[in-house]
Amino acid sequence: MSSRVPVTVLTGFLGAGKTTLVNRILSEQHGKRIAVIENEFGEVGVDHELVIGADEEIFETSNGCICCTVRGDLIRILNQLRKRRERFDAVLIETTGLADPGPVAQTFFIDEELKEYYSLDAIVTLVDARHLEQELTENSVAREQIAFADIVLLNKIDLVDTAGIARVQQRVQGINGTATVIRTRNANVPLDRVLDIGAFDLDRALSRDEDFLQTPRPFEWAGLYQLSGSQLLGVGAHADGHDHDHDHAHEHSHEPAHPHALEHVDLLLLPVESGSASAIDAQTDAAMTLFGQEAKTCPSHARLPVKQLVRIAVTGDAHYHIEQAGHCVLFCEHAPEEFGLHLEGAKLLEERRYGSHHHDPDIGSIGLEDARPLNAEKLNDWLSYLLQSRGQDILRMKGVLNIKDEPRRYVFHGVHMVYDGQLERPWPAGAARRSRLVFIGRNLDRNELEAGLESCIA
Amino acid sequence: MNAAAGQLKLRGRIELGDYPVDAAWSPDGKALVVACGAGDIVHVDVATELKSRSIGSHGGGALAVSWQKAGHLIATSGQDGLVLLWDARTLESRAIHTAKEWSEHLLFADNGRLLAVSTGRVLHLFDTAGQLRASFDPQPGSIAAIAWRPKSNEIAAAGNGGMRLHRVEPAPGSRDYPWRGACLTARWNADGRLLASGMQDGSVHLWYVASGTESQMQGYGAKVIATEWSGNGRYLATAGGSSLIVWDFGGKGPEGSEPIELRSHSERISALACRPTGTWLVSAARDRRLLLWRMGASDAPQDAHLLADECTVLRYARAGDRLAVGDARGGLSIFDC
Repeated sequence: MSSRVPVTVLTGFLGAGKTTLVNRILSEQHGKRIAVIENEFGEVGVDHELVIGADEEIFETSNGCICCTVRGDLIRILNQLRKRRERFDAVLIETTGLADPGPVAQTFFIDEELKEYYSLDAIVTLVDARHLEQELTENSVAREQIAFADIVLLNKIDLVDTAGIARVQQRVQGINGTATVIRTRNANVPLDRVLDIGAFDLDRALSRDEDFLQTPRPFEWAGLYQLSGSQLLGVGAHADGHDHDHDHAHEHSHEPAHPHALEHVDLLLLPVESGSASAIDAQTDAAMTLFGQEAKTCPSHARLPVKQLVRIAVTGDAHYHIEQAGHCVLFCEHAPEEFGLHLEGAKLLEERRYGSHHHDPDIGSIGLEDARPLNAEKLNDWLSYLLQSRGQDILRMKGVLNIKDEPRRYVFHGVHMVYDGQLERPWPAGAARRSRLVFIGRNLDRNELEAGLESCIA
Repeated sequence: MNAAAGQLKLRGRIELGDYPVDAAWSPDGKALVVACGAGDIVHVDVATELKSRSIGSHGGGALAVSWQKAGHLIATSGQDGLVLLWDARTLESRAIHTAKEWSEHLLFADNGRLLAVSTGRVLHLFDTAGQLRASFDPQPGSIAAIAWRPKSNEIAAAGNGGMRLHRVEPAPGSRDYPWRGACLTARWNADGRLLASGMQDGSVHLWYVASGTESQMQGYGAKVIATEWSGNGRYLATAGGSSLIVWDFGGKGPEGSEPIELRSHSERISALACRPTGTWLVSAARDRRLLLWRMGASDAPQDAHLLADECTVLRYARAGDRLAVGDARGGLSIFDC
């Protein structure tokens, strides 16, 4: 079925920049034939591409199950389009700002006929960095659109200051820990990052990025520094030393202080042998272990110890001394923009961002990881039970599983109550066979999910 | 040169070079008009050897075609938003309707005096001069199927949210039959008392319009894409996924009874058609098999052919002596039967 036409679903509130993105896709010289189905009638229209306007039409079922609802307009239009002589390389569906992405995605799982010819490639959600925080407060659809997304385009970053961008990105990652966040201005993003990327093809996603199902970590950021022997670590709103986002040129908005200002942050400083690019990743496991220990509170003006989790105050003009030379990785509980981290006399060589662990109270992501082999039957029972009992609350789930006596990886992904799973390529030689699952949904209970996974151990 | 009873005899296959979306037979069964996926309207002469020629086109793709049961008018629609009315004698056409939305379904009344056209959620009726006679209020969802009611002036238009009956004679009017589900097909039984509709949610909905009752047949594993009555009116053949299910309306009716399952297709069934007389049924699926059945007499296929590709359209001629089968490779096969 590799010849199926990939379908990209574009969601986002009115004004987030969807029309700009669609126009960009239609006018760029990329040599692809793209059909666009538009539910929101913007100023789209380019001669050489096909643009079809249609009203959203939700097909409900007589039993009222929302997980079985599909989008009738898409079934109708896409089944007509496949009868044309020329094939399309890709289909882009632009939904209205208020559309629930659930039925759109489910359509490609549930409708037997459609899924023979089309495959859901990715859900791309465009958000306006300026207005997102307000929209998240006022509207559950905004949260759901982010929860469903494979890719979140954080647009209009030129209209928000650095701290604001970081804060919005944290909110996004707090809702959806697995989405790739791309910062854009004028919805300017390379097409190969949003079209035909195979987000629902887990095998392909895995081969592209082994770490895409990242387990939520207790730290949000890590930086590799070259230290000179004696440096000062400062905190506070004035510093902007760690902004490496060169796209960011203008600061029109002057946001008030962080609404949930941090009082303290946990840090971990680990000396490393070399400044190579892999140094951060090589320290991740050690950092996970040390973050599990109790943090030592360090008063302002004190010297920060290494290889020890420390808790520092980040209010007022607190500062700390680091007496260390050579290369060092600094792991931070929160992203540096959130508390104005600046390290004088040190050179930042490399940085790494991890999913946020600020969970949205309503919708969030939960990641599970386990190295023990799973029993396929028990797993099937658990997933079936889970989808029946919690399917309406689980918006997305994905996983790579270690099945007992099975050389291949079992990969699955689901939308609401529907899911697809299959054995894919073998585990890479020498790699640890760890099962990783991520659930994104409403009011998820980590204990319940952990107990469920525990019940599947072979 | 009719085939022996219980056989489909291939008369020939002609390359149209394009995906046949819909087809309509001439009243005498000597010609067909085929609506194609890339837009061509193709006239196929089947009287002697098969001959085809393009007689026009709809930009972007053709959607539907209908030919008067007794008469010389043909109607077609396309993704260009147009409805064309053709004279079968001259093969000349003129546009009688244009809309931003697609007119996906059109059908002449049995008496040939009216043409029904569904455009999105709205049903329109035109007379034979191409004059608009009525446009009814928008329905709750896009119209997915239309069917003239036998022995009546009414037409059923079914879609998401149920079905409506519309008429323009003797006076315009509509009746609403709401149902929480999306209808995909609409087929009246022979006496026009009962309408069967295949549903997206894997069920068949029955409207006993005469008595005002409704019932449902559930349990299909996939959406029900075809509901066809046998020529003698006793059986209702239905298809959902690879399942071919026949309901017997003889005696007390199908409610509470076990249906007949005809097993032979290994993949999704794409079309069904019933011979206008008797109990003959043909089915075609993505497995490329074309099977002939005799409902009520045998659960085994009476004849089988392998098509060049998946079937896209299946149409019996009015006399039931010929069958047209379109395939996704762009061919049209004619069988004698």
